[in-house]
Amino acid sequence: MRLFAVGLSHRTAPVELRESVDFSRKGLEHALAELSARGAGRELVVLSTCNRAEIYVVGDTDETEQVGRFFSDYHAISHDSVSQHLYVHRGSDVARHLFRVAAGLDSLVVGEPQILGQVKAAYAVASDGQFTAAITNRLFHSAFSVGKRVRSETGLGEGAVSVSYAAIALAKKIFGELKGRSVLILGAGEMAKLTGIHLHAQQVKQITIASRTLTTAQGLAARLDGAAVPWEQVDHALSAADIVVTATGASEPVLTRARVDDVMRHRRNRPLFIIDIAVPRDVDPAVGQVDQVFLYNIDDLRTIVQENLARRGAELARAEAIVDAEVAKYTAWMQSREIVPTVVALRQRFEAIRRAELERLEPKLSGLPPEARARVDEITRLIVEKLLLTPTEQLKSVSDEAMIVAYADALNRLFSLAQDRDRGEISSEEESGVSS
Amino acid sequence: MHLLPLLLYAAAAAAYIAHFAWRDPRVGRLATGLLAGGVLAHTFLIGMQTVQAGHAPLVGTSAAISAFVWLLGLSYLYIELTSDERSMGAFVAVLLVGLDVISALDPAVSPRPPVLQSPLFTVHVMSLLFAYASFALACALGVTYGLLFKEIKAKQLGFFYARLPPLASLDLMNSRAITVGWTFLTIGVLVGAIWAWQVKGSPDPRVQAMSLADPKILVALVSWGIYSFAVFARKAAGWSGRRAAYLSSIAFAVVLLNFVLVGYFLTASHNF
Repeated sequence: MRLFAVGLSHRTAPVELRESVDFSRKGLEHALAELSARGAGRELVVLSTCNRAEIYVVGDTDETEQVGRFFSDYHAISHDSVSQHLYVHRGSDVARHLFRVAAGLDSLVVGEPQILGQVKAAYAVASDGQFTAAITNRLFHSAFSVGKRVRSETGLGEGAVSVSYAAIALAKKIFGELKGRSVLILGAGEMAKLTGIHLHAQQVKQITIASRTLTTAQGLAARLDGAAVPWEQVDHALSAADIVVTATGASEPVLTRARVDDVMRHRRNRPLFIIDIAVPRDVDPAVGQVDQVFLYNIDDLRTIVQENLARRGAELARAEAIVDAEVAKYTAWMQSREIVPTVVALRQRFEAIRRAELERLEPKLSGLPPEARARVDEITRLIVEKLLLTPTEQLKSVSDEAMIVAYADALNRLFSLAQDRDRGEISSEEESGVSS
Repeated sequence: MHLLPLLLYAAAAAAYIAHFAWRDPRVGRLATGLLAGGVLAHTFLIGMQTVQAGHAPLVGTSAAISAFVWLLGLSYLYIELTSDERSMGAFVAVLLVGLDVISALDPAVSPRPPVLQSPLFTVHVMSLLFAYASFALACALGVTYGLLFKEIKAKQLGFFYARLPPLASLDLMNSRAITVGWTFLTIGVLVGAIWAWQVKGSPDPRVQAMSLADPKILVALVSWGIYSFAVFARKAAGWSGRRAAYLSSIAFAVVLLNFVLVGYFLTASHNF
């Protein structure tokens, strides 16, 4: 039973390569089926995001080479271009890697929250296709709980680390869910578009775009499922909006204090969140003093991002400690799975020999009084116990995955232990779908 | 026995504050458990007093405060369990402890004078206590709204920003608490007036003192006025958000003043 993972990520591969090995393009099910058909292993999970492509395998033999080739074969690209970017993890290193990935520790933006969902989705696809079993079930469920623990017990995932997310996080702190809210975007340039896309993803009720030239506004409106209004109707749109994004190229402030004061009178005190991402600024700083108006410009948002990044750095050690603890737990479980059948088989083997010998000596022993026979039985049992004591302790203290396998193999061979025993146990566990 | 609820409330307050500061979910669950334990112990205490005295222990300011603390704890627990939002607990639990200390200083159950035998008296007191509990929650919501508002407005996103629910949620909950509280305040005042009118001929000097000039009645009407304004100004003039938050804090200060200070020292009509 071997657990390994082969993959590449933003740490090892450039973006062009990551794009060309995207397994999700044709559907993860397809990749899983293909892998399975090649006999890569009996448990498979494929994780494919824009920052990483990884294949987790549990097999009888170490097929890292074959799985590595699959990256190039499946996407019909040359293996040389991929191979140098691939990394391989085995045994408990797989757990450590996956746990760090799920916790966002291995992400481009450390602590970003999407990755946990992506790991869950990857597992769900594999699980639905019945490519997972006891080992991957346990591995991924442990990874989910690491991700959850890191999120709830550390501040690693807290605080937005991009300007757009910082703006959205602020909007959510003011309005709660953004679903029923209206957005007005002034300007139709690149920055306006980017922020608009992020707000659109929040399923806001209405996006209105106003620009000096109506046609550019209409272009962006089409992209964001929004409506374009002529520049002259901005005041009206301002009274209706909850969130205003200003990103025009104007050299003078577009929103002055007097104009916003006037708008607020029509709004009956409803809060207004103004995000000024234009340089030079589109909104007079005095607007921030109006009651129920929250004004943030690009520098304010950048400051928030800087603070959040610094704070995340401080939380890293706590997150790594959680990963360490969970890896230890997982390793102990793996170990007990791997070594326990061997220990049991070894003891059964010794016990069988002892009984066989006692039986063989039965004619000689039959003359002894019952107490003496009991003593013989006792003494032979103690000898076997003593002989097995040290090996058992040694076996249980092995923590290295490869060593466990080596020990198990050696013992199986040296004592010709029943191989089918632990096979049988594992497959019965697979059938019952043990996942805890 | 009568100190057990107070001890549990104090432990719950400490746990809520610790949870607010560190955000450890286990501490949060511990806080909820302690508060639930406190409310339960308080329920037993009130139940025992009711059995012993033969009537609900609502007579006298200490007993009323104790019943108020119990109602507030119960209402808060209900809101916490339905909204899954624990951050208000630190504020509410501190209030519970402060008020329960006052009532614990004078724990004896006063005998009920014959003039208070009417069921209207129970309705009067219970409505008002429930109204005050709602106003206390509104006040906690208002204070937290103010704290969060200040941080966002000043662009100093820090302690409260990371811990409190969105402004819109705080405002909505505040609005609900004020509306519920105002409804019960109205019922309580009306029932009180009807009851006072019914017993008008009573020789009891306290009944004689039932008039608008009595500080307790006067301040009660003043707070009714403030809360009526809060309810209708929100609907008619858009007094939501920060204004509503400040208003609910100030109004509760008036309520508290009436409940404790006036209740103990100044009223001639309500010192049963």
